Amino acid sequence: MKTLPLIIFGIAVLAQWAAPLAQIWTHEQTLTQGTLIKLKCSAPDPYDPLRGRHLAVRPEQSEASVPVGMKLQRGMHFYATLTTGADGLATISALSLTPPASGEFLHLKAGYVYNDKAGIEWPFDRFYLNEKLAPEADHWFAENISSAKGIIAEVRVLGGRAVLEDLSFDDKPFRQILKERVK
Amino acid sequence: MNTSHQRWLLEQLPQWERDGLLTAEAARTLRERNAVDDSQPGLAQLVMGALGALLIGTGLIAVIGFNWDDFSRPVRLLFAFLPLLATQLFSFRVLQRGDAAAAWVRETAALLQALATGACIALVSQIYNLGGDWPDFLFWWFMLSLPLVWVLRSHAVAIFYLIAIAIWSVNQVEHGKPWNDSPLVYPLLLLGLLPYWPGWKGKAPLSISVRWAMTISAIIGLCSAAVFVSMYREDDYNYRDETFVWLWALTAAVFALIPLNQTGIAEPTRCKPQVVLGSLWLLGYGVGATFRDLNNHILNGVSHALKLPWCWGLLVVLAVFVLLALVRKRWAVLAIASLALLPLIAFPFVHGKGEDHSTLLSWLATLHLSAIGITLIVLEFAGKKGAPRLGAMLLFVLIIARMADSHFSLLAKGIAFIGVGVAFLAFNILMSRLLKQKQASVV
Repeated sequence: MKTLPLIIFGIAVLAQWAAPLAQIWTHEQTLTQGTLIKLKCSAPDPYDPLRGRHLAVRPEQSEASVPVGMKLQRGMHFYATLTTGADGLATISALSLTPPASGEFLHLKAGYVYNDKAGIEWPFDRFYLNEKLAPEADHWFAENISSAKGIIAEVRVLGGRAVLEDLSFDDKPFRQILKERVK
Repeated sequence: MNTSHQRWLLEQLPQWERDGLLTAEAARTLRERNAVDDSQPGLAQLVMGALGALLIGTGLIAVIGFNWDDFSRPVRLLFAFLPLLATQLFSFRVLQRGDAAAAWVRETAALLQALATGACIALVSQIYNLGGDWPDFLFWWFMLSLPLVWVLRSHAVAIFYLIAIAIWSVNQVEHGKPWNDSPLVYPLLLLGLLPYWPGWKGKAPLSISVRWAMTISAIIGLCSAAVFVSMYREDDYNYRDETFVWLWALTAAVFALIPLNQTGIAEPTRCKPQVVLGSLWLLGYGVGATFRDLNNHILNGVSHALKLPWCWGLLVVLAVFVLLALVRKRWAVLAIASLALLPLIAFPFVHGKGEDHSTLLSWLATLHLSAIGITLIVLEFAGKKGAPRLGAMLLFVLIIARMADSHFSLLAKGIAFIGVGVAFLAFNILMSRLLKQKQASVV
């Protein structure tokens, strides 16, 4: 048996394990040690042929003001300071090119930058659902589209990284609401 | 002669020997010259193996897509890694067996492992509700699958890789992206297949299907890069279409002139997709350049393209390939490739002199294409290897294009078209008769 192909194969095998394991490690860290923040959002139900049914999570805040003197361009990364309001929901209160000294923050990418406003590309945009529950989500949205409460994205934040932990409505996990409807 | 032709010939030899058509010595020589390497997989075997692997892999992805949220996170992660581990062990076993492993088993192992890798990444991103665009997912998938092409010599994974890098490049054409996340990295991605490249020490030449996949992928990838660099300059945004069309023509010329050794040159044209597709684009581009209305657009494109480093890179590569083609005396391909440079010749004479001067390119293109068409016909009648029907077709397309671009009356155009049609049919009949005469004289 030749050695070189085996070495290359070994490296490939290691890389194939390392890539998903690295993702798991960083996301587990965020989930276990991160601070919980809540964001108001909408979540219609599209379909990903590779990864199955998911809700497209879209936080309501889609842009933020760029401070005077901050040279931000489309595609650039920046830090967004999060501030929690009296209602318990977080919003982006300030942008900077360096990590803020205190408080919770996210490392984000700028979408458009126009008229001192930057479009925000949130680091999470999907919440996966079981195939059985996903159609029920459609029905739920049709019935509750006019509700002022809105869906709440529960996100864990650690060192600028965010992981979407759950979706809730009226303080109840969204998945549980759907399961009860399916029964 | 391909493998199936060789197999057919070898099957006929015993009968021909019995019929006295061949001596035993001649039959032996033919057997030696057309020996079929049975270690190479049959097409049916490969297709069946690849289909089996594809079905299993797709099934795996579909099972994952169901989203088993009744299970805990660690259990679901186990679902992701177990198939990966199983396919890796299978591939390892195949590698251990080395040449003793059948080619279709090697293909199946490689494809299964590539699909399991994709499924694993997909499941992890599902479990953690990861965002991100699918091109990012595709990028990691094809990068992690690439080594399987090298070590298992898998055609199927090579084709997957080629398709994936082309799709990824098209999706990265977006203004404002950094170069390292844009189609500009396509050449580097293509170089990733280098250990699998034709002519690599001790390796068999590439199959025709991989050659076509490679050429089409490279065309899509490099053309995406041309579009990306054309839209890169804010001030040139209005001219980007003209700019990248000329860059595409230069790319086509580079393709047509990719250096070949004598064996490669002697191969039939259908085995050289880079020459076929490159030449077709250039001939179309040449005919387009004969239209006076398009001349200003083409020359504007040249003017803006010459400011781009990508364009100069293409010109340098083209210059090297032209020199190598001159050494190999590839006159026909050189003649067609030179169509891409016509705007460059016309450019200094018409630049900044207004629209009236732009007919120079139209004339140059008309004369050049006429010369190519006539040469292709004359070569055949001079007893050399020509392409009379292609030459005639080129001339007729040219005449039709010139008539369409002229200010003649509809009646005159109609008569001219009928005349061209009759001439084309007459030429076709003449060529058929000449071919029959030639065959009769050989017998």
